[in-house]
Amino acid sequence: MSGHSNWPEWIYVAVVISLMCWVGAEAWQAERLVEHVPADAEIIKVTGQQWFWTFEHEDGTKEIGELHVESGKAYKFEIHSKDVIHAFNIHDYVVLMDAVPGRVNTVWFAPTDVGEHDIQCREYCGLIHYNMRGTLIVEEPSH
Amino acid sequence: MKSIVGLFLVLAVLIVVPAVDLVFAAGDEPGEYLDRRVVIWNLFFRMMTIAFVVGAVVSGTMIWQVWRFRESHPKAKPTPYEGTDW
Amino acid sequence: MVLELQKPRPIWQIMFSTHHTDVGLLYLITSIGFLFLGGALALIIRAELFLPGAQIIGDAMTFNRIFTVHGTTLIFLFILPFASSVGNYFVPIMVRYKDMAYPKLNAIAFWMIPPGGALIWLGFADFTWYATPPYSIISAPGPAADMWIFGLKILGISSVLGAINFIVTILKCKHPDMSIGQVPLLAWSFLSSSLIILVAIPTFAAALLMLLTDRLGVSGFFNPAMGGDPIAYAHLFWFTFHPEVYVLVIPAIGMMYEIIPRFSRKPIHSYNSGIFAFVLLSIVGFSSWAHHMYATGMSFTEKTVFMVGTLAAVPASALHVFNFVATMWNGRIKFSTPMMWAVGGIALFFSAGAGGVANAAMPLDFQTHDSYWVVGHFHLFVMGTIAFGSFGFLYYMYPYVTGRMYNEALGKVHFALSFIGTVLVFFTQHVLGLYGMPRRIFDYPPIPEWIAMNQIASVGAMIIGISMVIFLANIIHSAGKGKLADTDDPFGVGGKYYYPFEAKNPSH
Repeated sequence: MSGHSNWPEWIYVAVVISLMCWVGAEAWQAERLVEHVPADAEIIKVTGQQWFWTFEHEDGTKEIGELHVESGKAYKFEIHSKDVIHAFNIHDYVVLMDAVPGRVNTVWFAPTDVGEHDIQCREYCGLIHYNMRGTLIVEEPSH
Repeated sequence: MKSIVGLFLVLAVLIVVPAVDLVFAAGDEPGEYLDRRVVIWNLFFRMMTIAFVVGAVVSGTMIWQVWRFRESHPKAKPTPYEGTDW
Repeated sequence: MVLELQKPRPIWQIMFSTHHTDVGLLYLITSIGFLFLGGALALIIRAELFLPGAQIIGDAMTFNRIFTVHGTTLIFLFILPFASSVGNYFVPIMVRYKDMAYPKLNAIAFWMIPPGGALIWLGFADFTWYATPPYSIISAPGPAADMWIFGLKILGISSVLGAINFIVTILKCKHPDMSIGQVPLLAWSFLSSSLIILVAIPTFAAALLMLLTDRLGVSGFFNPAMGGDPIAYAHLFWFTFHPEVYVLVIPAIGMMYEIIPRFSRKPIHSYNSGIFAFVLLSIVGFSSWAHHMYATGMSFTEKTVFMVGTLAAVPASALHVFNFVATMWNGRIKFSTPMMWAVGGIALFFSAGAGGVANAAMPLDFQTHDSYWVVGHFHLFVMGTIAFGSFGFLYYMYPYVTGRMYNEALGKVHFALSFIGTVLVFFTQHVLGLYGMPRRIFDYPPIPEWIAMNQIASVGAMIIGISMVIFLANIIHSAGKGKLADTDDPFGVGGKYYYPFEAKNPSH
């Protein structure tokens, strides 16, 4: 069918496949690093419901809409939902995980700088999805 | 020429890989935690570098050939198939 | 020619016809109508998002309904029926048969589109085109939700009937002297997409039925309160709809395979590569669905498997890009309107794919999931590749269907404005997503970068809107008053304009 030489096409396909292999390997490695939760991470229970976030620290402290954490510490979020699927997102720290009713999803992070960051919902959950927001407040360590 | 530059760019980016690995080998103590932002954005920027290099090659090729093989180009000549029912 | 406005045929002759050219015409008119309806919704969305706060839409629920119907309309009522119009009109001609294999079934499949569309528009559901439970079960207001479910059920059946027709026509009704390796690539594209439909759609049909019974409270498939799992729906939905995106794009690539060789005055560089790429994509497209679900809490291994499946589909698409570039090489290219759309479409196809590869990398999903990056990415496919290929083919077949030429200058203006607008809207939205703006939101906080990018995107959308008005005026006016076309070679490129076997419409 193709009487003409087609080595350029083979080279092109080889380049594309090797690029895809590189992407896959890099992504695998990065995900492996990112999913390794430090053993001493403090657990924070996050609950999403229409249309606000609540948080519960290990020591029982509860917060609504605001989350206070300390810089330099590792935190592991255990994310629950009371009604529909939401997604817990702290974009500045690239924290994103669905809140699915009937299961608990986990994601961790270790904030490094003092400051305030937005918490938002990243999965459509109805009328006030657009305003299901909160604030992450990273403070100096207390000791 | 373009492909050499592209190749070197790609290699330079790839060299960063072991470097990243070493620097961000995650520890389990305060002060040694991984900063997930850095890992993720680093991967993103490396991928965007490759994507834009490949994109420049592909779209550069397309722009050049659209200019060179347009029918109004002074050197445009009929293809071997014109006059037949290709 | 089925649309000669100077000698109009009685409208009921077209409506009750089962001839493939008439059914193709009906699909065409319906799909273009819904293109404008869905596009108008897009302009309303972009006008609302121009600034934070409520602009022209008073409340969030209306906004949520608008984006739901926008997406549902453009996918199910524009892209799929437009592809069906092209397939119906040309597949029998390409395989040199007198009609589709089952003409009456063909007409029935078309006539399911208007009721499906009516259910969706009269209901105006709000749960996104994805209809994810538990929201769609416990929280989405009915009867809108139920009407959407029924509408999609009907449209799914229509798709499957059309797919059966294409497969039998191409494989069993092709001319005895024509081997399968001589069937044009556009027909191969319909064969591939029809095979995908047959395998993928039944899964969603099941999911829709389960969603409905869940809504009625008689079952608990996806409702945790009744022991179900919402993630099961996600798997069923994406098992259908990831391959479905290939159903959307493959015919458009097939249309480019008609245009690019013709206007380069050369045959396609490698017909065999084209077939191989279509078939490979159809198969590999089934291995990647859960890349839409990376954020649902899947294990590391699961995510890796689907990332590999996603990346495996890239070489197949890359083969088409190579084929097109190699075809244009050493050609003598005439840049009429159809060729501009096809080449522009290939450039945007590549950009869409590159962005998709970034998304496929698991950790990058933490940045981009459910943000405007995803919106920009998929719109580069549906607008930049599929709509561009579709418009190009529409201009290409215009002289064949109407016997007249459209206005070439206006066609080029339509392309230029659409290309500029598409880049302005969808490239910008990639960056907007990186800045964290979520999808499906009625309002956003007054972050300066978000405002600026939303405004750029809205301006781009308005530019596309203007180009569409020019397009509509051009095709309507030219159908009645355009210059008569030389049906042997309306574009002056040489070679055979179309396949030797003329369509013989019995009503002519």
